[in-house]
Amino acid sequence: MTALPWIDIVGYWIGIFITFCCLSFLYKDNPFYKLIEHLFIGVSVGYLIVLQYGENIEPKVVDAIFGGGVDGAWLALRVVALVLVVMMFAKVLQPRWAWLGRYPLAFVVAFYAGLQVNAVAQAELGEQIKFSAGSIDAPKVDLNHAEPEALTALPGSSPAIATKWIAERAQRPFASLDDAITRASLSPLERGDLAAARGSLVGLDAKAAVSPGHHDGFGIVSNLLLLAGLLASLVYFYFSVAHRGPIGGISRFGVWTLMIGFGASFGLTVQGRISLAIGRAYDVLGRTLAPEDAARVHGPLVSLVSIGLITAGILIWERRTRDRGEGPGADGES
Amino acid sequence: MAREHWSERLQRFDRRWIFLVMAVAVVVPLYFPLGLPARPDPMTKAAYNAVEALPTCQLDPVTHRPVPGSPRCARVFISIDLDPASTPEVEPFYRAVVLHLKRKHAQLVIATTWYQAPPLVERYLRETLDVAIAPAGTDGYAGAPDRAYERNVDYVNLGFRDGKGAIIQQFGTDLRSAFDGRADDGTPLDRIPMMQGLNKLKDFDLIVLVSAGSPGAKEYVQFVGTREKLPMVAACTAVSTTDLAPYFQTGQLVGLVGGMAGSAGYENLVGKPGAGTAGADVLNIANLVVIAAIIFGNVVFFAGRAHRRRGGRS
Repeated sequence: MTALPWIDIVGYWIGIFITFCCLSFLYKDNPFYKLIEHLFIGVSVGYLIVLQYGENIEPKVVDAIFGGGVDGAWLALRVVALVLVVMMFAKVLQPRWAWLGRYPLAFVVAFYAGLQVNAVAQAELGEQIKFSAGSIDAPKVDLNHAEPEALTALPGSSPAIATKWIAERAQRPFASLDDAITRASLSPLERGDLAAARGSLVGLDAKAAVSPGHHDGFGIVSNLLLLAGLLASLVYFYFSVAHRGPIGGISRFGVWTLMIGFGASFGLTVQGRISLAIGRAYDVLGRTLAPEDAARVHGPLVSLVSIGLITAGILIWERRTRDRGEGPGADGES
Repeated sequence: MAREHWSERLQRFDRRWIFLVMAVAVVVPLYFPLGLPARPDPMTKAAYNAVEALPTCQLDPVTHRPVPGSPRCARVFISIDLDPASTPEVEPFYRAVVLHLKRKHAQLVIATTWYQAPPLVERYLRETLDVAIAPAGTDGYAGAPDRAYERNVDYVNLGFRDGKGAIIQQFGTDLRSAFDGRADDGTPLDRIPMMQGLNKLKDFDLIVLVSAGSPGAKEYVQFVGTREKLPMVAACTAVSTTDLAPYFQTGQLVGLVGGMAGSAGYENLVGKPGAGTAGADVLNIANLVVIAAIIFGNVVFFAGRAHRRRGGRS
């Protein structure tokens, strides 16, 4: 494996320093945080301009129109696109030409509105309503007759297990669930997975049977809860009737349903933010590098030096702020 | 002067102590891992099963070309739509799924619709496709070894295209024209043998979406997936999981890997623990800290309210 080039090592050092500059905002807004905030915006905008020029403007406008890459109707379309772009910038050139910018903007809004309406109607309304309007029954999967997809979807199962089950049942139908998960063709690992997935509430016992006509009781309760939650949430957003009496009760249940949904979202948001912190901790400590590269980067040492520099800098800045008579809180104290 | 109630003192508790505790909770398990289990949830298992169900071709050990009579190699489109901030959550999934796909000798076509992604994608290709991820003898890995893939032979990087939902819709109708008929390195797609018959997303056996936000999995479902009934699995950030989970329920996504915990579950299924598994350990500890902070905040709040109701100072 090639050793990390020195420029990448310097890049890691800068990355570690910038990470701690960013984290210094937890103390309060300070010059180190401001520095990297401006740096981030500058780098992002510069990168975006270069990328857009290289990916779009150069090949699709400059080369196409002036390089002779396309002709006929396609060339005319590119020229129209260029004119629309120039019209967008008319406002910047002269405020009295601002009205010209409305035409390309109207084009973009209309285009995306048409695209979005079509897509949302199919993917959101159509499919979601179809699913919500489905049967509340939750039949168990019959291991002796089910299709491979249904067998694969069972807890603890896999495409390989489904294939083996189909071969096994062709030789001798399953007499019980215990029989199905201990057949000779299953590997010890597969048997272990299936055994670990047993359970009468949401596990294999709840979802599978060896004859038709069995139902998953918890699945039916889940479907009923889904239906009740959906209808109650819709009632909450129905404002033409006063939310009193029975309607008020249903509406309140709808609010609870929504709150549970928001709670799940909030919990996952917290998880996401913690994952960010873990990612930075990994980088700072050199855990994303090969051990020999991590030894050259000296992540923990660079972290300590960065913390020391930032702490000293903030102390000097605090003292100078106090000497100038600007009290605490003058600069957005957290 | 009346003595201040303990709940009032704690309501002025400096929140920076929580940041410090959280920092300790994140860093300490990195040095002293607890090895807590990372069990895959049903959505992650479904994503794994979708990849597992792809056909596996038999390759000649020398030429790495399919031997006569072997099933054809699966063809998979991977859209890597992420930025540096989201890498801790979805990068472990990308690495695990690519190893899984390479074990099945799948041919891969890679693209991105995020302008921040191209430098990351180039690095991922260098680290996961141009070299073997888990060659024979890899420590802690008992699965089948993978091999180095060859660019424009075993995989094609189409590169970046801007245009959000509109360009994703074009992927669904004419993938080649969306990229002007060329791979990212300028090679005409017509000259790449593995691209034969691959003209739109419908031509692929599976679509894998490594999606950190918009445009991403949601747009793929809305603009092409539902209409074309494409088999798609997605990995998303934890924040997006509740947005995308309904698509899994309806079958619009055949698998969904949510956040770092989902990635850890996928690594577990593939059999090669990585950053996701190690991160999930830390995540468990940090979650306990958050739960403790929420309980602490509520105890202080309700104790303060009870004190005020008893006539204490507000």
